Amino acid sequence: MRDCSADYGATIELYLDKELSGPDLEEFRAHLKGCEACRAELAAAQELSSLLHRSRPLYSAPDALRDRVMRTTELVPSSAPYAPPRLRKRILKLLAQPLQSAGRGVPRWPVFVAAILLVVALLPVPGILRQASANSYIEAAVAAHRSSLNGSLPLEIKSESPSVVTAWFAGKVPFNFRLPDAAEQVGHDQVYRLTGGRLVNYKNGYAALVSYQMQQQTISLLVASSKSAVAAGGEQVPSGRIVFHYSKHAGFAVITWSTHGLTYALVSSLPGSGRQSCMVCHENMAGGNHFTARQ
Amino acid sequence: MSWNHDGAGQADATGIEHLDGLYSYAMILSRNHAEAEDLVQETYVRAIQAMGRLRAGSNMKSWLFTILRNIWFNQLRKRRNGPQMVEIEVEDGLANNIVEPSKDSHDLYVSKIETEQVRAAIQELPVESREIILLREYEDLSYQEIASVLDCPLGTVMSRLGRARAKLRALLSTTLKGSDSPSVRGTK
Repeated sequence: MRDCSADYGATIELYLDKELSGPDLEEFRAHLKGCEACRAELAAAQELSSLLHRSRPLYSAPDALRDRVMRTTELVPSSAPYAPPRLRKRILKLLAQPLQSAGRGVPRWPVFVAAILLVVALLPVPGILRQASANSYIEAAVAAHRSSLNGSLPLEIKSESPSVVTAWFAGKVPFNFRLPDAAEQVGHDQVYRLTGGRLVNYKNGYAALVSYQMQQQTISLLVASSKSAVAAGGEQVPSGRIVFHYSKHAGFAVITWSTHGLTYALVSSLPGSGRQSCMVCHENMAGGNHFTARQ
Repeated sequence: MSWNHDGAGQADATGIEHLDGLYSYAMILSRNHAEAEDLVQETYVRAIQAMGRLRAGSNMKSWLFTILRNIWFNQLRKRRNGPQMVEIEVEDGLANNIVEPSKDSHDLYVSKIETEQVRAAIQELPVESREIILLREYEDLSYQEIASVLDCPLGTVMSRLGRARAKLRALLSTTLKGSDSPSVRGTK
C-alpha cells in the first residue's frame, strides 16, 4: 500500500465538500478504490464532519432576539405600507441602537420614542408576530409527527387510558398537562383511540407529544404551554369559546387551538379542510352547530 | 416574513431563516452573547436599508453573512482607537436550547454534552479558523461563497479550511473516539 495521503490531502477535502467535479472527481474516485490510506483519511474527515453536523445549529438565537429581529424586518415597505418612509427610516435608525448597550450612559428618550413609533408603525399589521410564532409551533408539530411516523420517536408511555397518559406527563412537562376536552368526553362514539405519548424538546423545555390511532392512521397532538406556543392564522373554525385554526403544512392537515393556558397542534393526513377535517373525528358534534367555518 | 426587493419581477426572500446561522456566526466572531445579539440585530437593520440595492437572484444568505462580518470588523477597528470594551465570555454551556424533537432523555443528554464539547473546541480555534468552520460545516456555503464572504481568494479558503479541520480534529479527538455510534440527535 502506497502512503499518498499527504499528496491527496487537499483533494480529500475537496471531495468531502463536493467541490470536485468532472475528470478530477473520476480520477480521485478511481484512486480511492485502490488506496487504503486515502480511504482511511476520508473516513476520518467524514467522522469529524458528521460530529459537527450533529451539533447544528451551533447556537440558537434567543427568543428575545428573534422577536426583535422580526419586528425590525416587518418594517419593510411591503409589510408596513402605512408607515411613511421617513417614519420607517427613523424607527430603523433607533432600532439600530444596540440592545444590550442601550442605557449605558446614553439618554433613554430615544428608546422610548422608538418604542412609541414602533407601536404606531405596527398598528396596521397586528397578528404578524403571532402568526410567525404560530408557524414555528406548527413546524415543530409536523416535525414531531413525521418522526413518529418513521419510528424515530417511539412512545415512552403506551396506554389507551387518558388518565394514565395524563398522569405520566404530570411533573415531566413545565405546565399542567391535560388532554383536549373532546378526547375525554364520555358517551361520544370516538372513531380514534389514544395510543400513548412521549416528551419532545421544544424551545426551552419539554412539550408533550400524544399519539392517537384512527383506522390505519396515526394522529399526533403536540401540547405546549400557551406562553411558548401560539395558535393563529389559517381557516378559523369556532366551536364554543375555542377557535380552531386549520391549515395545510408539508402535506399534513394541522389544527391548532389554545385553551386553559395550553396550545394544541393536531397533525394528521386527514382529508378535507377546516370544518370537514374536524368532523372526521367529531361527527357526533355536527348536530349542535359546534363547528362553523370562518375565514 | 418576506422581503420583496426590486429586480426583474419581485424576488421573495426570507431572511429570518438565517437567524440561527447569523447568531452562530456572531457568537463565533465575538464570543459574547450580548455583542452577538447586537450584531445580528444591526445586520438585519442594515440589510433592510440596503434591500433595494440587492439584485433579484442574489445570494441573500452570503450577503447577510457578509454584512454581519463587515459590521463586526468595522466595530473592531473603531475599538482599537478607543477603550477596550469587549467582554469575552466563558463558554455558556447548555443555555441555548436545541429546538427539534429529541429522542429520549438520555440521548438528549449525550447530544447536549457532545454539542458543548464541539462548541468549546471551536471556540479554542483562532478566529479565521472559527469562521471558516462555521461557514462551511454549519452553513454549507460553497468555497466560492466563503471566499466572497471572507473577501479572500479561493486558495486561501482551501488552505484555511484544511488547517482549521486538522486543529479541530486534534481538539475533538476524545469526542471522536467516543462517537462510534450513529447520531443520537434523531431527525432534524
